[in-house]
Amino acid sequence: MRITDLSFRYGRRAPWVLTDVSFELPPGTVAEVTGGNGAGKSTLLRLLAGAVPPGRGSITGRPPVVGYAPEIFPVEQAFTARAYLGHLAAVRDRPAAAMDLWAERLGLTDLLDTPLRDLSKGSAHKVGLVQALLAPPGLLVLDEPFSGLDERTRAELPLIAAEVAAAGGIVVVSDHQHGLAGHPGLLRLTVAAGTVTVTTFETGLVEARTLEARTTEPRTEAAAAAGLGAGRAAPAGEPDGEPVPHPRQAVVEVLVDAADAEAVVGKLRADGYQARLRAHTPSEGAS
Amino acid sequence: MTTATLTGEPALTRAVPRLAAFKIAAYLRSHRVVQPFLGLLVVIIVLYSTRAPAGQELPAYADSAAMLVPVLAWAARGLLDAEPDVQRLISMTAAGRPGREVAAGLLAAGAVAGTLAALAVAVPLGIGFAAFPGPATIVGGLALHLLSLVAGVALGALTSRPILRDPATSALALLGGYAGVLLLGLVPVPWLTVPVLGWIRAAGRPDFLTAGLPGPAAITVVWCALALLAYTRLRRTRP
Repeated sequence: MRITDLSFRYGRRAPWVLTDVSFELPPGTVAEVTGGNGAGKSTLLRLLAGAVPPGRGSITGRPPVVGYAPEIFPVEQAFTARAYLGHLAAVRDRPAAAMDLWAERLGLTDLLDTPLRDLSKGSAHKVGLVQALLAPPGLLVLDEPFSGLDERTRAELPLIAAEVAAAGGIVVVSDHQHGLAGHPGLLRLTVAAGTVTVTTFETGLVEARTLEARTTEPRTEAAAAAGLGAGRAAPAGEPDGEPVPHPRQAVVEVLVDAADAEAVVGKLRADGYQARLRAHTPSEGAS
Repeated sequence: MTTATLTGEPALTRAVPRLAAFKIAAYLRSHRVVQPFLGLLVVIIVLYSTRAPAGQELPAYADSAAMLVPVLAWAARGLLDAEPDVQRLISMTAAGRPGREVAAGLLAAGAVAGTLAALAVAVPLGIGFAAFPGPATIVGGLALHLLSLVAGVALGALTSRPILRDPATSALALLGGYAGVLLLGLVPVPWLTVPVLGWIRAAGRPDFLTAGLPGPAAITVVWCALALLAYTRLRRTRP
């Protein structure tokens, strides 16, 4: 699946949300979309899913079966979860029984006969995930799938993503919580200032190398003077349009009291960093 | 788990009608159908509280078709607005392409409006006419209500939430659009708008089916086709 010079805005006079974005998602890719609030992550996901057409540029090679789960599942519908999923299964030309396996895996079975309006946020989110998986997806697009989920389902999602990818599908997940951080070969799509920077993680956590980071959007003079340009404009002396390396990531070791460790890791993760906790022995400190 | 195979895109012939059925189910469960149904009842009561005398069935049908345009538009708009916005995105991916979701919405709106229009033709046959009309009158009535259906769906689609976000603006546009059509119908240029008043005038002619109907019908179809084309174009950037 190839995204070429993709630009998008919501109206003719509206500002561009994404500008001249290009990257490729080969079969078997698991990609994590990150970025600040309002950066355009959900817009990118909807473009990838095919729900909205690009303003400029193209998306080619999109698999025919797309599963899309929104960030907030629309519960304002007068269906039970079972009736809703039955209709969506029919649209996808799948038997209604297709929901059973996924409902079981995601812990939704006992709530299938509950009206959508009465579901908790997490349970409604599960309905959104199940409908996206009713037909084996060639492209699975999940917008903040870990939000509000219980531990069991949070543990299940990375497995499902890995299975879809192993079957040749593409998985694209917007995720502030880095729930897929342990996935080998995880591709990170960082959305910022209208562009997308692509980074891959080989060992799943801190060893990262840049695959591609490209744009053709002109920088403003002020941004150029400040060395900005969303980390993607070609620096002086480099040919226009050539891939620009993203700065390598670094590991910051923070030594804290054991009692505060969980809280510090939680804060770092909430700020969008990948943080992990490991025990510290006195010999490490002495070395 | 079973993501071992990647099946193909759902077939157009199955995805669109099944998505239309889902939309109709959502519409009926939301009880939005009550409003246009009440509108239909009002039209029937106003027109047929006194039975139409023999020979006046076709003009009565024409009045019914003209009065039902905003009712059917309200029904179409209500159906297209019944789903939350995000659900439309889900439906687009489920159906395989955004255009299928748009087509399913119009199909569902046509089915609901068609049911109301069929009632408007059938009910007077039992309680609205002094004498049971001949087949030519019934065919004429069906044709007039088909024009009303197409005009109503087009007006309802253009005023639905994907096109006009604000409900108050949308309602005003629907009613204002209908009023505008009636006012423009007073101008002696029949092709200037959907000739709703032209339907009524044509129904008074003895050669309605052969000479009276084709002209207004052709103009109606052209205007409604343009309106639906505009709707489908606008929906490309308003999912």
